[in-house]
Amino acid sequence: MTAKKKASKKKAAAKGPAGSTPAPARAQRGADGVYPETQILSRNFGVEDSWTLAVAREQGAYTMLEKALATMTPAQVVEEVKTSRLRGRGGAGFPTGVKWGFIPQDSKKTKYLVLNADESEPGTFKDRYLMELDPHLVLEGCLLCAYATGLDVIYIYIRGEYPLSITRMEGAIEEARQAGYLGKNILGKQGFTVEAHVHPGAGAYICGEETGMLESLEGKRGHPRIKPPFPAVEGAFGCPTVINNVETLAHVPCIIEFGGAWFAGLGIQPDPANPRALGSSGTKLMGVSGDVKNPGVWEFEFGITLRELIYDYAGGPLDGRKVKAVIPGGLSMPVLTAGELDVPMGYDALQKVGSGLGTATAIVMDDACDMVEACENIAHFFADESCGQCTPCREGCHWMEKIFARIKAGEGTPKDLDLLEHLFVNIEGRTICALADAAVWPLRSILRKFRHEFLAQMPGQSDPALPAGSAAVGAR
Amino acid sequence: MADNKPTITIDGQVLAYEPGQTVIQVAHEAGFDVPHYCYHPGLSIAGNCRICMVEVDGWPKPQVSCKLQPSPGMVVHTQSALAKSARAGTMEMLLVNHPLDCPICDQAGECHLQDYSYQLGQGEASSTTAKTKLPKNVAFGEKIVYDAERCIKCTLCVRFCEEITQTNELAMSGRGDHEIVIMTSKGEFDTAYSMNIIDLCPVGALTSRDFRFKSRLWFMDFTESLCTGCARGCNVVTGGRDGAMLRMEPRANAEVNQWWLCDEGRLDYAHVNGADRIASPRIKTADGVWVQATVDDAITAAAVALREAGGDVLLDGGCTLEEMLLARDLAKVMGGKARYAAATGGGDKFLRVDERGANAKGAEGLGLARATKAAAAAVVIVERDAHVPAALRDGAAPVVVFATDAASVPASARVVFPHGSWAERDGLLVNTDGRIQVINRNPAVGPDNIPATADVLEEILGELDPAYDWRGRGGLHAALRSESAFAKAQFPAMQSAGVGVGA
Amino acid sequence: MSAFEASAPAAPPVPASFPPKELRQACDEIVARYPTRMAACLPVLHLAQKHFGGWISPEVEAGVAAYLEVSDSHIRGLLTFYAMFNTRPSGRHEVWVCRTLTCWLRGAAGLRRTALAKAGVDRCGVESPDGRFLVKDMECLGLCEVAPAVFIDGAPHTEVTTESLEQLMDACE
Repeated sequence: MTAKKKASKKKAAAKGPAGSTPAPARAQRGADGVYPETQILSRNFGVEDSWTLAVAREQGAYTMLEKALATMTPAQVVEEVKTSRLRGRGGAGFPTGVKWGFIPQDSKKTKYLVLNADESEPGTFKDRYLMELDPHLVLEGCLLCAYATGLDVIYIYIRGEYPLSITRMEGAIEEARQAGYLGKNILGKQGFTVEAHVHPGAGAYICGEETGMLESLEGKRGHPRIKPPFPAVEGAFGCPTVINNVETLAHVPCIIEFGGAWFAGLGIQPDPANPRALGSSGTKLMGVSGDVKNPGVWEFEFGITLRELIYDYAGGPLDGRKVKAVIPGGLSMPVLTAGELDVPMGYDALQKVGSGLGTATAIVMDDACDMVEACENIAHFFADESCGQCTPCREGCHWMEKIFARIKAGEGTPKDLDLLEHLFVNIEGRTICALADAAVWPLRSILRKFRHEFLAQMPGQSDPALPAGSAAVGAR
Repeated sequence: MADNKPTITIDGQVLAYEPGQTVIQVAHEAGFDVPHYCYHPGLSIAGNCRICMVEVDGWPKPQVSCKLQPSPGMVVHTQSALAKSARAGTMEMLLVNHPLDCPICDQAGECHLQDYSYQLGQGEASSTTAKTKLPKNVAFGEKIVYDAERCIKCTLCVRFCEEITQTNELAMSGRGDHEIVIMTSKGEFDTAYSMNIIDLCPVGALTSRDFRFKSRLWFMDFTESLCTGCARGCNVVTGGRDGAMLRMEPRANAEVNQWWLCDEGRLDYAHVNGADRIASPRIKTADGVWVQATVDDAITAAAVALREAGGDVLLDGGCTLEEMLLARDLAKVMGGKARYAAATGGGDKFLRVDERGANAKGAEGLGLARATKAAAAAVVIVERDAHVPAALRDGAAPVVVFATDAASVPASARVVFPHGSWAERDGLLVNTDGRIQVINRNPAVGPDNIPATADVLEEILGELDPAYDWRGRGGLHAALRSESAFAKAQFPAMQSAGVGVGA
Repeated sequence: MSAFEASAPAAPPVPASFPPKELRQACDEIVARYPTRMAACLPVLHLAQKHFGGWISPEVEAGVAAYLEVSDSHIRGLLTFYAMFNTRPSGRHEVWVCRTLTCWLRGAAGLRRTALAKAGVDRCGVESPDGRFLVKDMECLGLCEVAPAVFIDGAPHTEVTTESLEQLMDACE
């Protein structure tokens, strides 16, 4: 399955091969008020056979690696990425350059890069586009990271459900190896020796969590590790390890191309008044799926609103339907209602409205969606994917699912909603990894924002505040 | 604070800590009762049960104290509202799918789930949903039974097989609330230490097939003692009821056995519960008929017989230092020597040693020779057939015999005293490393009212030697201290973990 | 046997000879990529499952364990953790129906009913009586923009309808 190509509306693309074009300017809404796409990561998505080395090289693949090797020290590459204020694109938004800085340079151990290509977050498919349509860009990003932090081996952990991504990345590695972009003394740079391998996952959401992924890479069950030690010090096979998301590293070549300062100038600036608001620099692949006319993925500078994304690009709700609720980034973020969509897509802005950017791939639920059933579906996912390690998550996620099922069966009482709130408290923040938090956030926000729908399904309960007909939802 | 060591504050108490310690260790050392399931000081830290959570000033979320590394000045609360509610929340989760079958569970009475539930739990059940069904009565080899519904997935048993025995028989299987422990399809453990996972299990998920359904714990008597299966001297607790020994479990001693015990030692008590136990002294009449006698009559008869016979004493390598010292004195009075006998073999690279005589080192210290072939002896003391086999004891042709089992009494015997098993005697043993440790009598084990072998030996000595002064335990220990081999030794107080020879 | 008596352990399986000669080179190459043999577990199990008819029998499990020098219980722990592995016969065709939110919004529940009816089984995860299908409920397959998604024998199908799913399954031998 090749990633679905979508006709784009407006583009401010870096046209032509990398290294030959001026830096794209900042996105401006046009006269029609439409926020334009900015194609940097995605500039080769429409190019025929873009995944082959021959075509990729025509588009300038590996020229930024050549530039860095020829003109920059590893420390300068790290500095450029720090300047760019690039934040992790896998969901957590940790500053990438800072993460790279944690790798101990005096360690004699082998150093690893584990590229997080597990993309197991529901509703998320952006990394699949990068791996299927521009695997050499991904690999170039990995090699720049390897150069910057002195890594020896790259493992690309791709979920087993992405057979084409696996094939394309393996093909890219083979081509790159033969062309001298991998192996000993890459591009003649003495001592810059890096190997790369694809490691296939086998169906486990939790392996997208970085330490669960390390366990899985080591051939174990993907039980997240309790920290410290952190992976930068003791990661894969007990050695210093960088773990970055596919999209994160795919940004690095353009940062080398146009400069960290240019990247930092794109998107949303940090808030000097709020040290925790680190800003959202650069561009991001953003997607929409669910109850919309034109689901897909596009690249934007941070700043487009969720409403623009859904209505201007994803085509808005299906005919005769209304948007009811949106989870803005994967499944693991608090839900926003139809009235809360005028929020810019950015790490801090979404946090401010009580949700989060996550993977920036929104799931839209329309007015035909029964929120009780949606909660049962969501809770089932987390119960199914809980690794089983920590008591509150192992027992709690399944317990929540059973309660939602009971309410759906018409056997719920308002006490069940109190019990759910009690469980949220005892699940969130009580476990080794964030899966339990991820389970609580969408469920709690749906329960609070759509409480009337839950009451409406309980025998003998009616909510006077319930708008007429709002509980009339279709069975899925 | 002394020594300029860094400190943390736990519930208002300022406590020094060593680098590398975790908060739970600091708390436990100071006597705080922080609950835990998945934490064990001898295993890696899993941090998965989430029952040991505490609140730390400045940290928004409660932290698991088993993994939490102290930093200077850290302020920890074990009893704050957040810490308590976090632990209570975990407790509730642990019980939501637990079968609550305490009435038929062997762990009842020593179950941490019961204990903490009592402390933390709420009176009202919040769950009205059906519990998850998981496998029950699963054989983990021949000795252990697993119940996945009782299991709280703490992984202590899995970690034991990975880290201590490194035999990896166990693994976690499944995912989420269907996670269970599974065993290698070989169906048997490669390790001789498998039953330690029963002790490690904080709940009733792993039970001993040997002990299952034999007794409720609160009807039993427990006594701190030693395993005498070999000369390691692993520290144990014996459990008995109504004259029978029902189980033995290891007791932690960092210097000897850490927390562990081998399966063979643990199950090595068949002779304690033997059908042919001698329960009272017996005297053989002139026409060769055995009659029961009072202890006093038997002592008199033994003295008469020994004055006549004289010669050596042959004793079991599992005898206590006190018994050995008295045997040596008795042999001297009779113009002979005391010798000891003990089996060998079966050692491994972990706890078990080839020397099976639990007090062979003590015998050597007292200068006793090791009996390797049959030779005459007037007195034989035998607990284990393996130590003093038929060839040795029949070859000795003794007139006075101290025996645990009637089958070990040679035909030559004229007076027989019951010799309590190690679980029924008090005294000192010297282990393979020269450490003097204590065995203690469990009052619920063995026949009632059997005389202590050391007491009987003293009485006989008194009969044979008019100059002999009763010494008792204190006097015997004083005498042992004056032995050159034990001159520098530290003698443990009875009922303690033992101390090293003062080298 | 009383309810309180533990079941006797089954006879241990005879380990399959692993890797078979067709897989020897590929397996050895995989092992060479990692600093530990254990790390090769997932890729080797993928190869083994494909080679041995879509599932890992206890014999293959033991064979892989011996080859990678890990315990068979470790391999079983992996097979039961990762959703893509099967520990029971998996039919001639494996049908994965995504059940997670986006696909569910787009009609996955109907696809699941269709797939089960077509296979003639009442729940996911069991081989159909004729040995033709194994229908598996899968969590998000990452094809959300073209939901609902179904995989048949490892190949993705997108924007599937109950009608197109029937046709796809009819085309399976």
